[in-house]
Amino acid sequence: MSPEPGPPGEEAGAVEQAGDVLELPAASRATDIALDELELVYAFIYARVGNRPDAEDLTQQVAMKAIPRLRQGAPASAIRGYLFATARSVLGAFWSTRLGLSEAELHEDLAMAVPPGPPSVESEERARRILAALSDNYRRVLELRFLHGYSLKEVASEMHSTVGAIKVMQLRALRAAAKVPPDEPGARRAQ
Amino acid sequence: MMPEKPENRVDRIVSDLLRGRRLKLRGGDAEEKEAITVAARLAAASQGPQRMSSTFRSRLAAALESPPNEGWFTRRAALVAGLGVAAGAVSGGLIGKALQPAPHAQLAGGGLINPEPGRWVDVGALSDFVAGQSKRVAAGAVGAFLFRHGDTMTAVSSICSHLPCELWWNADGGSLDCPCHPASFQPDGTPTKQAYGLPALNQVNVRVTTAGRVEVLGT
Repeated sequence: MSPEPGPPGEEAGAVEQAGDVLELPAASRATDIALDELELVYAFIYARVGNRPDAEDLTQQVAMKAIPRLRQGAPASAIRGYLFATARSVLGAFWSTRLGLSEAELHEDLAMAVPPGPPSVESEERARRILAALSDNYRRVLELRFLHGYSLKEVASEMHSTVGAIKVMQLRALRAAAKVPPDEPGARRAQ
Repeated sequence: MMPEKPENRVDRIVSDLLRGRRLKLRGGDAEEKEAITVAARLAAASQGPQRMSSTFRSRLAAALESPPNEGWFTRRAALVAGLGVAAGAVSGGLIGKALQPAPHAQLAGGGLINPEPGRWVDVGALSDFVAGQSKRVAAGAVGAFLFRHGDTMTAVSSICSHLPCELWWNADGGSLDCPCHPASFQPDGTPTKQAYGLPALNQVNVRVTTAGRVEVLGT
């Protein structure tokens, strides 16, 4: 049987040593390490829910679900993968609860692998790709609304239209954006 | 009642997203699930790189570190055993090994939260607090439930000692209940009788000034 962990106070000051057993670093450092990993998870989740309150709630859920499981030990290469797998599961539950859908219907979000780069870059690149695949009017309405933060009235004025028409165009543009394939930069224009 | 038009439904959600608000979805919104999920992605992308706020990071850190024991394994040790391995991998260094469960013992908990640097935060007048009831307050990154006993106050952490969930005050039962699992605590922070042992809640510094103001030691 492996040695039991000592009381938390005894962890301070421990250092990493060569060998197959990880010596416990200072508590504050261990927490910093955890937070750095969860920072990536937070960005990953934020990129999918688009708002801070939900991103914070879901990140906390990931921490709660993943940390106790990690105590069982896991290969180093699987740690981050495990956190992101947990994040995908939490996101799936979030969408299915909020929209009343089965997780199978949300396969696109759930099937994503661990992002190869910083999630924010991945997110912005994908948004750019989506907008580039849309027709001019659809792209314009989403750019004005999301990138420039225009109100519907301002968009209507800019595009010489009415608020009602812009509202419908926004819906159609989002529907078209949802049809842009996720991994095809040269996707055809969605009408 | 007329059903909400899809364009109005989606614009309501888009407007909330653009204001940084939580996604408030209703049953019928599923019909526009593709539009809603892509709107959330565009809203996120438009806001640029996102990092945890310092407040949330502090709250998460406090939650990860607060209870010294979890019955069979410490959360801190879990962090080190799990995520410390990730750090080792990043640095090309060490490979960790799972630590074994600690025996059921030392579930006292109830340590005092002493933030450094800390500051006394005014959370209201003594008269705002009612004996027999509890009120949750935030003193920077420290969340606490306060209880009045005549002219004095006591306070315990608002974070469960088992999982880092925010407790809620169950006025009917006179206990602090955890929304994440069946656990509850008495106003003094000791766990109520339940199937498995839990540490007590951490205590929070609270005082009543001569002017009758209640202050909590927070961040």
